[in-house]
Amino acid sequence: MKFDKEIIFKRKKYPIFLFFIILTTWFVFVDLVDGDWNSLENSLDNLSVFFYESLWPPNWKVLEARSYPVCDRNWDFLCSPAYIGIVETLKIAFVSTGLGFILSLPLATFASRNLYRDSVAIPFRLLLSGMRTLPSLIWAIFFVILIGLGPVSGVMAMTFYTIGYLGKLQYETIEGLSKDPLDAAKAMGLSNSEIIMRVVIPESANNLISQLLFMFEYNVRHGSVIGIVGAGGIGYYISTYLKFLQYDKVMALLIVLFFVVVVIDLFSIKARSYFVEDASLKYPSFFQSIFRGK
Amino acid sequence: MSSIVSAVDLKIGYSSSTILASIDNFQINKGEIISIIGESGIGKTTLLRNIANLQSPIDGKLEVFGSQSYIERGKVGYIPQKLGLVKHETVYFNVLEGAICHESILRSITGFHEQKVIDKVEESITLMNLSHKTDEPIKQLSGGQQRRVAIARTMAQGAQLILADEFLSELDDKTANNVWNVMYEYVKANRITLIIVEHNRDRAKLADRCFKLEKNEDNSHSVLIEVEK
Repeated sequence: MKFDKEIIFKRKKYPIFLFFIILTTWFVFVDLVDGDWNSLENSLDNLSVFFYESLWPPNWKVLEARSYPVCDRNWDFLCSPAYIGIVETLKIAFVSTGLGFILSLPLATFASRNLYRDSVAIPFRLLLSGMRTLPSLIWAIFFVILIGLGPVSGVMAMTFYTIGYLGKLQYETIEGLSKDPLDAAKAMGLSNSEIIMRVVIPESANNLISQLLFMFEYNVRHGSVIGIVGAGGIGYYISTYLKFLQYDKVMALLIVLFFVVVVIDLFSIKARSYFVEDASLKYPSFFQSIFRGK
Repeated sequence: MSSIVSAVDLKIGYSSSTILASIDNFQINKGEIISIIGESGIGKTTLLRNIANLQSPIDGKLEVFGSQSYIERGKVGYIPQKLGLVKHETVYFNVLEGAICHESILRSITGFHEQKVIDKVEESITLMNLSHKTDEPIKQLSGGQQRRVAIARTMAQGAQLILADEFLSELDDKTANNVWNVMYEYVKANRITLIIVEHNRDRAKLADRCFKLEKNEDNSHSVLIEVEK
């Protein structure tokens, strides 16, 4: 049997591709280090010192009531920086995900090329792309300057980013719909708004809900970052403790945040399994009975 | 007799360089049942899509209900090969999609439907013997039941011209014949024009007239010829 280079390449394309990725990554990394390998040599020692002297053990005082303002609740924990911060982060994520979803859906339908011609779809794609280009942190800086410190700036920043990100997921879902139901509706003479309400949203509802849950999860994680620039949430406390070099308190807040994110992830994975077609996880039909009328 | 569909020197396809079919003269009258046969990829679906105003002809004249560009809302019912139903939704929801052609866009998108629209939906579901399945999602119905929902949708819509694209394929012969009979009786009783693309020649010959799309002599595109029954 004759083996030429082309056949060998086709049969071994995955290992060759992997090797190529490793090689190029290494070369670019070497270029970035620019010969300064000494800075990396001591990094493990530095990490060990920093971890045991500054971060560990975590300072669980963050779970106790703040000294000011005076706590008027029965349970001290409800006045603690960890509780106040995480609740505010969850509120910011919830409101911005809801607002972002409501605003991104109409924009996503205009950006879908199977519903509108390119001259309409492309400007809307550019708009969504523009909103996505700036990370939520930059949007947060922008709104802190415009509105001032606090959770409203956080909500605005996360909403803008959510519109850009969710809008892209939504128009890709809409464009992936089977063209038969759309054709049948267009042939009937239904308007675009009717087609969106009667075909597009019902056909893509499962995916849209799944994306909404994913976005909430994503916004909770990012809600902690935007607080660092003063846009509210647990990030505000993290930023404050960092300024005063109270790394043990930062560590405690990061652990709290980690557990909250894990719980939300678990809930989200479980909830999303009801809305994803042919998902491997199937649960009893509580959600189905509400959303699918079974 | 006035033509519901009139095509003269019609050329259809994807671009002027890729003409799929050329049709010299094709006239369909009110209440006629027309079947179109032909091998895969010959242009049957493209012809239906042109008649349904989903695609524009490359050249020539194609008039549907006397107009080349505008078709009145609800007059044309199109049943694609995969039926075009909203699979996650119920029988009622899908039949209602057809019936909203009789009300304003504002009412249809806000969900405040007129009573005559609701009555039309219920009547169509009853006529198709689907009353016991009204609130079932489409994907839980059998192939034959799904086809009856598609017919009920065109009924509720009050379509005067139904375009059905191989919608009986994937069914066993007995079920396909049952669905065909339901469709045949409905269109005959109401003098509705039906153009059906059908791969089963026996069923195709049950139509009033049968046409075949086949390659021309130099194999460059297909032409439409009437088949003797």
